[in-house]
Amino acid sequence: MVHNTDKIVCRCEDITESEILAAIAQGATTADEVKRLTRAGMGHCQGRTCRRLVNQMLARALGQKPEGQRPITQRAPLQPLTIKALAEYQES
Amino acid sequence: MSAYKADAVIIGGGIIGTACGYYLSQKGLKVAIVEQGYLCSGSTGRCIGGIRQQFTSPGSIKLMMESVKHFQNMEQELGTDVHWHNGGYLFLAHSPEKKQAFLSNIAVQQAAGLKDVRWVDADECREIAPGMDAAGLLGGSYCPSDGQAYPFAVVQGYAGKIKESGGSIHTFSKVSHILQQGGKVTGVKTDSGREFSAGVVINAAGPWSKDIGQMAGIEIPVEAERHEALITEGVEYLNIPMLVDYRADGGYFQQYKHNGQFIGCYSPVPNVPGHSADSTFEFLHQMPKRMLKLVPGLKDLKVIRQWAGSYENTPDGNPILDRTGLDGFYTVAGMCGHGFMLGPAMGRVAADLILSGGKDLPYPEFALKREFSQAEAMK
Repeated sequence: MVHNTDKIVCRCEDITESEILAAIAQGATTADEVKRLTRAGMGHCQGRTCRRLVNQMLARALGQKPEGQRPITQRAPLQPLTIKALAEYQES
Repeated sequence: MSAYKADAVIIGGGIIGTACGYYLSQKGLKVAIVEQGYLCSGSTGRCIGGIRQQFTSPGSIKLMMESVKHFQNMEQELGTDVHWHNGGYLFLAHSPEKKQAFLSNIAVQQAAGLKDVRWVDADECREIAPGMDAAGLLGGSYCPSDGQAYPFAVVQGYAGKIKESGGSIHTFSKVSHILQQGGKVTGVKTDSGREFSAGVVINAAGPWSKDIGQMAGIEIPVEAERHEALITEGVEYLNIPMLVDYRADGGYFQQYKHNGQFIGCYSPVPNVPGHSADSTFEFLHQMPKRMLKLVPGLKDLKVIRQWAGSYENTPDGNPILDRTGLDGFYTVAGMCGHGFMLGPAMGRVAADLILSGGKDLPYPEFALKREFSQAEAMK
């Protein structure tokens, strides 16, 4: 029986555990690399759920502690904002 | 540790380095890419993925026509979907001066062989870009064979082929010394003391190419300049080409066909020199203002991320593709914000230059030692 590893890790971009593992097998050693190889963390929630999971998977594969892995860069706006809401901002 | 031996060492794992590496490895050379971060961690991974042939330097127009051909065949060539889509580019003219400039640029582009570029009036602009507010618009310069692709996939595709051909990629390896002996380059050394030996060393370090040149005492006139970008959530493809608005309060943005995200940026006035990947709040509200002005229907679209990266500017806005005073040491840098689109053709041409021993300079206008007086007007 084939072990099914296809659990969804990044819900926004539909990235599975096996895709993350493939990126690590390809040589990724940081969360930033996994993000760019797989798009995990690039979607609507910007890694809110998957960033910890990715770091744990990296740490396990590389024999490190999860807290030793730097998470993906958090970028503004921290929650999605509409073009209209942003455009209406007036500088005082 | 003994030195890693290769035929060519390439400094920089962005589009230029990996494209050069791909074409050299296709010719049988053993290539080593030495990258200070990870692949695409510099300018390439921060660009917005536009690909256009509308330039004013005949050299850039010809290179870009070749690049588009490479992008068209890339999925087959590299065995990976790079999300190439010929969505076109529409440059907007809101003043008689801009219209006149575009008309003369179109004549230069057509003379260089770009046959499908043309002037379109405001009514046709509305048809080409459904939903665009054409208030005050006189028309535009439109090329339907321009397009878009996904930078990470292209670089990974090239890197995969380099490895298949026996080459190697060395990430988190920062070059600190250019090694030479008797006027010839012999390799590089990293800040951790690792040596890579090769008779050919290529400086493809983008915004850091000046620093790399200085390690060999060679002046490379390339300066980093910060540009910011943002991306939205994905929505249904609206079939709008890349819109380029050169006005001081304009910008440029496109929608990715493959996932529906809008991605865009503008050139800040005044410019922001220096290495910086810091984002600003000013950009986060300015860019939406500019997008909304051109396409009001985007109002409910959500912005999910902003970031910044460096252009790598030369004094005339044109790239540098040349040998240097140090035998075997080449510079392929200073792409001035067009590295991703120029990359495939630039890599092919650079490989030919290197295989000729540096003798056959294909584009004298991109020489390292030039007047830098023929400025690129569609920068």
